[in-house]
Amino acid sequence: MSKPKLAFFKLSSCAGCQLSVLNIEPVLLDVLGAIDITYFVMAKRSNYHGPYDIGFVEGAVTSPRELEELKNIRRECNLVVAMGTCACFGGIPSIKNFTGMTQRQMEEKVYSELWDIKSIPVQGIDYYIPVDHYLRGCPIDLEEFLTLVKSLLKGVNPHFRFHSVCNECKLNENICLLVNRGKACMGSVTASGCNALCPSLGRECEGCRGPASDCNAESLAKTFSKELGLDKADIVRKFRKYAGNTSEFSKGAGDNE
Amino acid sequence: MEKIILNKNDLNTLFARLKDEYEVYGPVAKKDQYVFSMVENVEELKLDYDTTILPPKKYFHSPVQSMIQFSEISEGDQERSPLVKRALFGVHPCDVHATLSLDKVFLETYPDPYYKDLRKQTLIVALNCKKPCRNGFCASFNTGPGIDIGFDLCMTDLGDRYMISVGSEKGRDLVSGFLPAGEEEIRREKDIIDDCRDMVTRWIDTEEDLGEFLHQNFEHKVWRDVSKECLACGGCTTVCPTCYCFAVKDVVDLTIKDGKRMRFWDSCMFYEFSRVALDHVFMPEREARVKQRLYHKLAYYQQQFNVLGCVGCGRCVTACVKNIDPVMIMARIQADPCEEKEISLYKPPHKKIESDENPWMPYKAVIKDIKKQTCDVNTYTFEYLDEKIKAGYTYLNGTYNLISLFGTGESAISISSWEEMKGTFEHTVRAVGNVTKALAELKVGDVVGIRGPYGHGWPMEKMKGRNILLIAGGIGLAPLRGVVESVKNHREEYGKFEILYGARTPGGLLFTDEYEKWRQIPDTNLYLTVDEVPQGMEWNENVGVVTTLFDRISCSRENTVVITCGPDIMMKFAVLGLMKQGWSPEQIYVSLERRMGCGMKKCGNCQMGPVFVCQDGPVFQYAEIMNLPGGVF
Repeated sequence: MSKPKLAFFKLSSCAGCQLSVLNIEPVLLDVLGAIDITYFVMAKRSNYHGPYDIGFVEGAVTSPRELEELKNIRRECNLVVAMGTCACFGGIPSIKNFTGMTQRQMEEKVYSELWDIKSIPVQGIDYYIPVDHYLRGCPIDLEEFLTLVKSLLKGVNPHFRFHSVCNECKLNENICLLVNRGKACMGSVTASGCNALCPSLGRECEGCRGPASDCNAESLAKTFSKELGLDKADIVRKFRKYAGNTSEFSKGAGDNE
Repeated sequence: MEKIILNKNDLNTLFARLKDEYEVYGPVAKKDQYVFSMVENVEELKLDYDTTILPPKKYFHSPVQSMIQFSEISEGDQERSPLVKRALFGVHPCDVHATLSLDKVFLETYPDPYYKDLRKQTLIVALNCKKPCRNGFCASFNTGPGIDIGFDLCMTDLGDRYMISVGSEKGRDLVSGFLPAGEEEIRREKDIIDDCRDMVTRWIDTEEDLGEFLHQNFEHKVWRDVSKECLACGGCTTVCPTCYCFAVKDVVDLTIKDGKRMRFWDSCMFYEFSRVALDHVFMPEREARVKQRLYHKLAYYQQQFNVLGCVGCGRCVTACVKNIDPVMIMARIQADPCEEKEISLYKPPHKKIESDENPWMPYKAVIKDIKKQTCDVNTYTFEYLDEKIKAGYTYLNGTYNLISLFGTGESAISISSWEEMKGTFEHTVRAVGNVTKALAELKVGDVVGIRGPYGHGWPMEKMKGRNILLIAGGIGLAPLRGVVESVKNHREEYGKFEILYGARTPGGLLFTDEYEKWRQIPDTNLYLTVDEVPQGMEWNENVGVVTTLFDRISCSRENTVVITCGPDIMMKFAVLGLMKQGWSPEQIYVSLERRMGCGMKKCGNCQMGPVFVCQDGPVFQYAEIMNLPGGVF
């Protein structure tokens, strides 16, 4: 089999996930031995057009122009991977969906020159196109990225397991930030795969990997409010920071109350 | 029991003796909490600790265990970890008891070499509790605050010195030269433990048999309330000293050929715990998983292994964001129980397999033949490469093997040949998941790994002299094909034989070229049905689900054994349909499918209430399981 052609695309995002991919230095040469990076504007000077075997899309869709680009990506790529929380759920850009402003008001608030600005509510890419695989996180986890690459090379389903961060946190024998420190940690409803990075460094989980499977955000929101005394507005902000578009985290934000 | 006195300033001497021979692990401080960790000096030890975040289980049943190193789909070698002698210093009685429970899981049947190696290299110095920990309720099960089994040495802090009980020869060597305890000191030790027990405020009332009591209260409203609160985070199971469930996974490097077969701690609280190919999940509802965990701890474990499933260490309560607490739950049920009813607890069939070989290592088997059955189903004929293995390999109809493709994984697949077949055996496999799809890519002459057979098969003995009614749906005919052939081979031993077989479409029927021969078996009927017929296809048999064939059954109810396998929904309606017509659950046998990661009653993925489908089944008499809490289908 010839080496699969990979392409990396960027929609509305901070480029942090692409940067993470470049951080696989220790195994970069091995990876390059197995794949062919055909299109990666951030990383190389010469880029080639499609078709591609695997397309990694970073970022959320925030404008009609990006939507056109995304549809084109789908046509050109055999497999499409949503890379990072913005592409999976809308991510940080999706905060604007909940401001209560119209698109025009928002555009005026952010930009001074409006003649070339046209924005739409922020969505993850599977709102518009079928997506084959998801890499969650802000930014993505490199181990998970490599696991996916290996699985795709092998032609198997990686069967990622999105149970909660608590599992990995407990395995690291961390002191529970919520139970023992009273911090509003979202680890219990957030998908694992990050090896509990933030809680292991003493920072509460902010839910960047989106809802865990069988997420019970309502119950955690109740704890935030009743046990930790958080304001309703703070709780809503927490659940809308990265994945407010998801039905699971919407419940934490009290959307169906 | 031999009792020794150790002055507190002699603790150094004992520690130094341990250090000479062992890596020593004990409770150390992690901020304001405690963890078991390697210790260099006796000063690091925090012997007044209450409890640790993870139990010392992590030293026997590793959170991540590499089992087999592989290079090709059938080339693997057992991972041998360097055998370091370890001493666990200061293990509380609850955790010692938990280790005894895990011993039953890992060592009783199919002894697990990875657990066994770590366990036998580890010395346990227990430490009796002087004061109750915040969430513990060990006294309910008599697993604390004191202990007299399961250790090499056991210490009790008498204030100015330690009393040491000797539990093994190794332990005795370590305390040689110290003075024996006097009567006064023995009395003081007893007083200290009794006082501690008196101070325990958290109890589960165990006067009534907890197993029966919980089974009677399976529908209690407390479970709904708890499930609404539960975050399904799995924290409780991760910190539990008796939880053993694990997931098996092949991890490859970038060559995508070389890698390791690993196991990781898993949790029944996770949605993915029971997930199989096509993303089918057997326990999707949180309430079912909440109950599976708590019932397992307080009842099922006892039924499965005849040891305690909960030792009352209280870690699950400490870890829980929502304060879900077995003590409170039990108190609430006991205060307001459901109506009493007759309950009989499931008793697993007794079967013990002991072997010195590593039960995880598959044997190499070559694909001798591949026959296409449907668009996505093939029948593979396998032959073991090793002549001795080949000659010694026997199985019963209805049992299964684990087919291993290193780098992709293992999959439990029923054997579709018959028990009289010697030399080769067959598997009829639908390509739906990673392993089965990779298998479908292989050719005649390729070599895979196979281990087995596992479990209990069809009741061939009980069927002798009786009629057989075989009901199958789709791929479910595969494990029943052996029965058809065995009946053909020993026709005079069985009565009338009727086969009802359904598939979604005519193209989904298996073994179509064998029907003619089956129909020629004397006193045998074969009725076929399909859910739908694609336009333009010729079909002269029945259309409808398999139960629509029931009016053709001519076997008498009195002297017939029913054997059935198919999708759960088909078996459900078949079994209910027959029972409505007066057939008894004693005469009905079903073959169940669940996620099976080990086949050896260890990984826990296949648990259905107290039942291990992998070893207690996959074939069950329906009467045995119909009253399981939570049901079957």
